Amino acid sequence: MNHQPKNRISRKGLTVWRLYGMIETVVVALLLAGVGTLTYFFDWPNWIYAAAGGLLVLFAFLFIYLFPKIRWERWRYEVRDQEIELQHGLFIVKRTLVPMVRVQHVDTEQGPILRKYDLSEISISTAATTHTIPALITEEADELRSRISVLARVAEDDV
Amino acid sequence: MSEPRYKLHPISALINFLKGLKELILPFVIIFGANLFREDGISGMFNQGWQGLLPLLVGGVVLVFMLIAGIIKWKRFVYWFEDGELRIEYGLFVKKKRYIPFERIQSLNYIEGIFHRPLGLVKVKVETAGSGKAGQAEAELTAIYRAEADRIEQEMHMAKRGYAAQAETADEMLYGPVEAQPLREEVADEPARVLYRMSMKELLVLATTSGGIGVVISGVALFLSQFSELIPYDAIYEEVMLFMRFGYLVVALTVFAGLLLAWVISVAMTLIANYQFTIHADEERIYITRGLLEKKKVSVPFNRVQGIKMTQNPLRQLFGYVHVTVESAGGTLTDKDEKIRLFPLVKQEKMKPVLDELFPDFDWSPELTRLPKRSRPFFYRLSIVWFVPAFAALGYFFYPYGLWALAVIPVIVAMGLWQHRTAGYAISGRQLTAQFRGISLHRFYMLKKRIQVVAVTRTIFQRRRDVASVHATIKSGMLGATALVPNLSREDAEEILAWYEPSRQRQKVDHEQTKNPQPNEIG
Repeated sequence: MNHQPKNRISRKGLTVWRLYGMIETVVVALLLAGVGTLTYFFDWPNWIYAAAGGLLVLFAFLFIYLFPKIRWERWRYEVRDQEIELQHGLFIVKRTLVPMVRVQHVDTEQGPILRKYDLSEISISTAATTHTIPALITEEADELRSRISVLARVAEDDV
Repeated sequence: MSEPRYKLHPISALINFLKGLKELILPFVIIFGANLFREDGISGMFNQGWQGLLPLLVGGVVLVFMLIAGIIKWKRFVYWFEDGELRIEYGLFVKKKRYIPFERIQSLNYIEGIFHRPLGLVKVKVETAGSGKAGQAEAELTAIYRAEADRIEQEMHMAKRGYAAQAETADEMLYGPVEAQPLREEVADEPARVLYRMSMKELLVLATTSGGIGVVISGVALFLSQFSELIPYDAIYEEVMLFMRFGYLVVALTVFAGLLLAWVISVAMTLIANYQFTIHADEERIYITRGLLEKKKVSVPFNRVQGIKMTQNPLRQLFGYVHVTVESAGGTLTDKDEKIRLFPLVKQEKMKPVLDELFPDFDWSPELTRLPKRSRPFFYRLSIVWFVPAFAALGYFFYPYGLWALAVIPVIVAMGLWQHRTAGYAISGRQLTAQFRGISLHRFYMLKKRIQVVAVTRTIFQRRRDVASVHATIKSGMLGATALVPNLSREDAEEILAWYEPSRQRQKVDHEQTKNPQPNEIG
């Protein structure tokens, strides 16, 4: 547990997460604007404005700046011949070990925002679970996908 | 068409009809129920000439149609064996054919309903690994004679012998290697041995201590919520107010009587469902039969067994009773009802020899490594934090009595300490045993080759105290089941991870091989 998996996800992943954070912040801002309007029309106390403003700033700070940063710094992965190791998590750091023999199939996937940044996410499925590495350069992801699928076929069970 | 075609027993027509009827009960109840609450009630329907009778007419037509449909379904259904496949042809309007290769069949489950038993018939559910919808069998033979069911099984065994080699490679790709089964050939026709039969006493203990009462109560609640619009609450309310005058004692007694009744019903249901619970086994499969009115037989191939789980709620733990389930891969086992309960309830001493016989690979009572003292706070601290808003609210609004809520804290702490004392793990050879407690105690036994993924999680607080939680996931049904060892010391978590990691394992094996070249001993 002292050594960490080697590889990090793409730096652009951080940008994408910040973008997601901004979208979420806009949604929250709209909700809070709704509260503000209600406050105006129903003469609710003025401190509600201040609270809403404060909440928005806090939300923006957490979801645009802090959380993506921590998540990105935490995210590590490593694909070895016999296993895949993943580490991620904001509050709870999770280290996952997936033996190659257990890998059933590997998918890459790319939404519109990821495509714009030339990123893909790669999902590794076992018989019971699915694990996703969220932001890799598309080329890298494709390469990794074929590498894992080759390794998964070759891997032998010795126990 | 040299192969003989077989038909189902004619009673299937009746069963089909009744099954269709069952689905129609709710609409019917609603139609007639709604009329019941109309001004002039049911009799009004007959006073309004033919228009009032319209619902009845429609109902009648539907009934006749269902009956005919049931008969046609039976007439059209044929099955036969050809080219190592079970072939079925059926269909009401569209003729459908379904060919199921025998080596794909995972299990044949027999169910004997009330209509089957007097005639010596069974309903056969054919299950394959990739059955489409959850809870739905690949094919269903509504009613055939026992001997015919045995014939299918025989055909399957015969076909499987021929295909055994291929089937095993297919299995290996999916679920890891299948254990070598040198005895398979000779034993295939040997009748299954009876390993365990549930005693009446155990059955009674099971029925009286099971949580089935919740099911009954929620069922009643659901029923009430479904029909709430039809129930004249105002009238009932007045009745109740009158009733209330009799005093709280009567009310309390009624509530108690209601709960008692629900409990009695749940006991009866459990008794009927698990009557004559028996475990048989042959070389390939475990068979479980149970039931009084509807006799169910479930079979589990040994090579699909992913792990064994034991559960003890505190009450049963006190008396040394255990509930054992088998986690098995694939099939239609997502259905809760079909969960494979190896022992619904058994005395610990009685279970051991049976398990030893069924799964000789497992070590059933390994020495557990317990948790370090420093991990104790993790079991209650967070739950107390969750309760703080409740304490604050109660303390504020119901001062001073609300402060009694704080009395919950010692309970939480005691529970947490108990969870801490219960949890532990053991690594013995290729087996991982994980034990943890929610309220009930859970213990998972699993082999390394069946564990799909191992994960270690740490919060910031856990990192500070140098502890970590370990999660091991095995395949269960269509999904996974996760065994947990919470708040282990970091070194122990590391040990589990190292035990599981294939490349570290390989290094160790290589090392041992150079030291002591006896490859047979390893693995």
